[in-house]
Amino acid sequence: MKQPLPIALIAQRKAGIAASIAAALAALAGVGLLAISGWFLTGAALAGAGGVVAVQAFNYLLPSAGIRGLAIMRTLARYFERLLGHRDALRGLADLRPRLFARLASADMAEMAQRGGGVVAAHLGSDVEALEDLAIRRVSAVSAITGALAGLGAALLAGVAPAAILGAGLAISMIATRWAAPRLLAQPWRDHGEALERLKGLYGEYAGASVELALFGQTSRVATLLAEQAAALDRARLAIVRAEGLLQTLQLTIASVTVAAMLGTSSATLPLQALAALAGAGAFEALGGLGHSFLQRARVDAALARLEAIARLPERPNRHVSLPPQPAITLGSGADTLNLPAGGRVRITGPSGSGKTRLAMTLAGLRRDAPEPALVGGVSATSLAIEALRLIFAVSAQDAPLLAGTVADNLRLARPGLSEAEMWSALEIACLADTVRAMPAALETWLGPDGARLSGGQRKRLSLARALLAQRPWLVLDEPSEGLDLQTEKRMAQALDTWLRDTGTGLVLVNHRPGLDWLAQQVYAVNDTQLR
Amino acid sequence: MTDSPSAFLKIKSHQLRSASLWWSADGLGAALFAGALAFWLGSAIAGRTPLAGALALGALAFSGAFRGFAQARGAVQGQIAATAAKQALRARLFAAFLPTGFRRGRLPGEDMRTAIDDVETLDGYIGRFAPLRKAAVLSPLACAALAAFGSWVAATIMLATLVPFALGMMLAGTAARVEAERQHLALSRMTGLFVDRARTLPTIVSFGAENRVTRQIASAAQDVATRTLRVLRIAFVSSAVLEFFAALSVALVAVYCGFSLLGILPFTPPETLDLARAFFVLALAPEFYLGMRRMAAAYHDKQQGEAALAAMEPELAKAERLVDQARPFEAVPKGLGAENLLVRYDDGSTIGPFSAQWPETGLHAIVGPTGAGKSSLLHALVGMVPVVSGRMVAAGQDIMPGALNPHIGWSGQRPLLLPGTLEDNLLLGNAEAANWRDLAQKLGLDALLDARGGDLVIDPVGAGLSGGERRRIGLARAILSGRPILLLDEPTADLDAATAQRVVDVLHHIAHTRLVIVATHDPLLRGAAQSTLACP
Repeated sequence: MKQPLPIALIAQRKAGIAASIAAALAALAGVGLLAISGWFLTGAALAGAGGVVAVQAFNYLLPSAGIRGLAIMRTLARYFERLLGHRDALRGLADLRPRLFARLASADMAEMAQRGGGVVAAHLGSDVEALEDLAIRRVSAVSAITGALAGLGAALLAGVAPAAILGAGLAISMIATRWAAPRLLAQPWRDHGEALERLKGLYGEYAGASVELALFGQTSRVATLLAEQAAALDRARLAIVRAEGLLQTLQLTIASVTVAAMLGTSSATLPLQALAALAGAGAFEALGGLGHSFLQRARVDAALARLEAIARLPERPNRHVSLPPQPAITLGSGADTLNLPAGGRVRITGPSGSGKTRLAMTLAGLRRDAPEPALVGGVSATSLAIEALRLIFAVSAQDAPLLAGTVADNLRLARPGLSEAEMWSALEIACLADTVRAMPAALETWLGPDGARLSGGQRKRLSLARALLAQRPWLVLDEPSEGLDLQTEKRMAQALDTWLRDTGTGLVLVNHRPGLDWLAQQVYAVNDTQLR
Repeated sequence: MTDSPSAFLKIKSHQLRSASLWWSADGLGAALFAGALAFWLGSAIAGRTPLAGALALGALAFSGAFRGFAQARGAVQGQIAATAAKQALRARLFAAFLPTGFRRGRLPGEDMRTAIDDVETLDGYIGRFAPLRKAAVLSPLACAALAAFGSWVAATIMLATLVPFALGMMLAGTAARVEAERQHLALSRMTGLFVDRARTLPTIVSFGAENRVTRQIASAAQDVATRTLRVLRIAFVSSAVLEFFAALSVALVAVYCGFSLLGILPFTPPETLDLARAFFVLALAPEFYLGMRRMAAAYHDKQQGEAALAAMEPELAKAERLVDQARPFEAVPKGLGAENLLVRYDDGSTIGPFSAQWPETGLHAIVGPTGAGKSSLLHALVGMVPVVSGRMVAAGQDIMPGALNPHIGWSGQRPLLLPGTLEDNLLLGNAEAANWRDLAQKLGLDALLDARGGDLVIDPVGAGLSGGERRRIGLARAILSGRPILLLDEPTADLDAATAQRVVDVLHHIAHTRLVIVATHDPLLRGAAQSTLACP
């Protein structure tokens, strides 16, 4: 058997002892209830037929009290088995979600970008949900074993042969299910998970481009495409239901054949035969939970495999390499080399598509595809992890990505423990303070998904304010004034210049508009002759 | 069709009926088991022929196969019915949600939860719960009727335990609905958070904020776990109540039958029982409640399904209303006018009013300080922001914002590329545009096309295209659509001066035959425009 995987362990560890005890009691009470009822009834019939003396000799008080007691015990035990089992499982899963997210956050930056939001949501949502069964499985196993043992014990009263037959029947049922379940269910569950992931991935991508879909009349084409993808999901689901039905039929058939064989081979008294037959039926019922787990195993395994892919992502290399606190930057090689000491300012120029953004983002550790060498503190940025680079660079990227949240949520991303006053002063420098002040809830205004409420220029400035708040020795700004009118651009440049000077912060600027040119006297021209 | 989603639950499909009949037929299998066992034991006292004994055991052995078959058929037929309902619902959700996502302002993750995960809850609700609910009425009655052959007193005992049970279930059901709706809300929030934070993860990491965001995710996940447990607790209490009554019913039947057989009942029994009849009734007693126990086990499916549909209904109605409003305007617009268009966002802030009159052709600029509402005006013209007053006029008629969209070539502030190839994206508005390579060359995209080809696959991260390249692809896409009106937001942003000049030349040329409206800060583009509308 392969080593249980770390995330499987987290889910399983939580299935506690209390839940297992409750499960055992419930199974015991269930089998006992059926067995005693059968024995009592048959015994009573024989005694009734045997005349007054036999009736008086028949102790009916004990079994009838037993029936009532077991009925209540089964009810309570079942309640606690379910409640405790699920509570433990849910807590385990709630721990697992942030762990997986943290793992993704510590992986290579390219891994993050590759997975769309929809795909990650599918993993952290439905795939983690599927693991619930993993945690409940142990409780089911306890219940199945206790039930089977109780059934076997009762069957022994009716003779060795019926007990042996029951044991064989239970074993065959479990082995057959374990053998057949993966063969029938693994493929459909894999298909199901993959179809769901593809559907969510596609939906996520298209939903982001809602305006384009509406304007270019693409809705019906895309809706059809998604519906086809969803049909694959439905087909997989139906295949799962079919296979589960087949397996359940197999289990029920084995159970009834076993009980018939037990009766056929027993030479015990009638009350004990009745006891054995009903206890046998009860034992199979107790096995049901584990059987269900076997049916779920394929689903769990498929989800586990997808989650393992995240859990096993290697950490970014060189996470613990550190740089001097105020490193110099070197761009380019050979005769074109440009050296910038801490606090220097450079403007990266070049035609559209030449790789200005790639160069700037490589410096900051967000990409690795700079067209030319980029060194930080004498070390190539591509060999450094973001852990080192993010202490050096604060970035305002070209597309100014914003969190779904409030203005303050977005600013707080920069650094923990920011005060409101700090936020306002950063907004002042970014020339956005008046706008935010006029918003319905000022800093606490909800901006919607990806800052949907903001104009292009506003989101650029919010992203700039966030970068300022990070207080890093270098600021990397990619087209910070796009979407700004000339007057605001001028004001912002003045404020930024003062701030850079006061704080001694360096600047790496990518811009097309001439209004910011004066901020950085040194120019580095990207000359990307080889297109990617 | 504007039915509410819950109308799907009232569907009377052939499959659904057949599913509940199969689930009820399962009770016949149980009766066969009980009957065979009772006969085996009862005839042992009276003495039986070997053939009769073999037949009884054969019937007993067969009963399991029959029950398995009936249950499997019930499940499959239910699933087929659920699939039909899901497909019909998805068709509406996709068509309504996709084009209105921006306008409704919900997180894409939340929309995804509704359009995909919530629809999946119908598997449980329609596929399992709906047939089981019918079977839960049918099978106890059938069971009691069969039991009455053995002992009508026992059958009456079974029916009598139903009354307090039904009352208990009703109380639990009301509490459950409230909790299920809260759980659904928590789930929906969590999914929204997952999608958004996964999308912005690189930014989060670049500020070293991943630990804080992870804690936020942990707390959302905790919230879901707590809410789910509350829902489950109620479901388990319901089940416990049910099992208690089931057990009570078995115990009462067993005690009645036993005492009756012993002849020590404190009253004169109205019927005489023998072992076979008594045993038949006893073995059937647990089956009496089985239908309802199955329903109770599927009760969680019902709660989830109802909560999902309740949350879906208002959002779908809103989206469908928006789609309806933008019924396309057929005539060729010939110019475009706006009178006092006023935009009011949900939070109460307003932008505008805007008034403008644009002729049939020409290059026209919208200018103004950042945040003045240039983009909002463009979005208002295509019905993507809520316009609360004012009118839009085209071809001499009042039209609804959004109704002109089939005549508008659009390139927004941040042109988004769709999954597919680069060529697919360029030809999005008109698959037959023959001259696309010419235009791409004029816009300076030829180097990109030569290097990476038109069949370059656009991945979720934009295939590493630069901001200026994406902008020009968006622009080319709008022009190639061949539509008579072009609305372009900052078409020269992110571009170097030489490339910007090429864009202005192309727009200038196109403006001879089409109406080109640009929102811009670029003095170059502004200088080339025939008219300028200043936003305050």
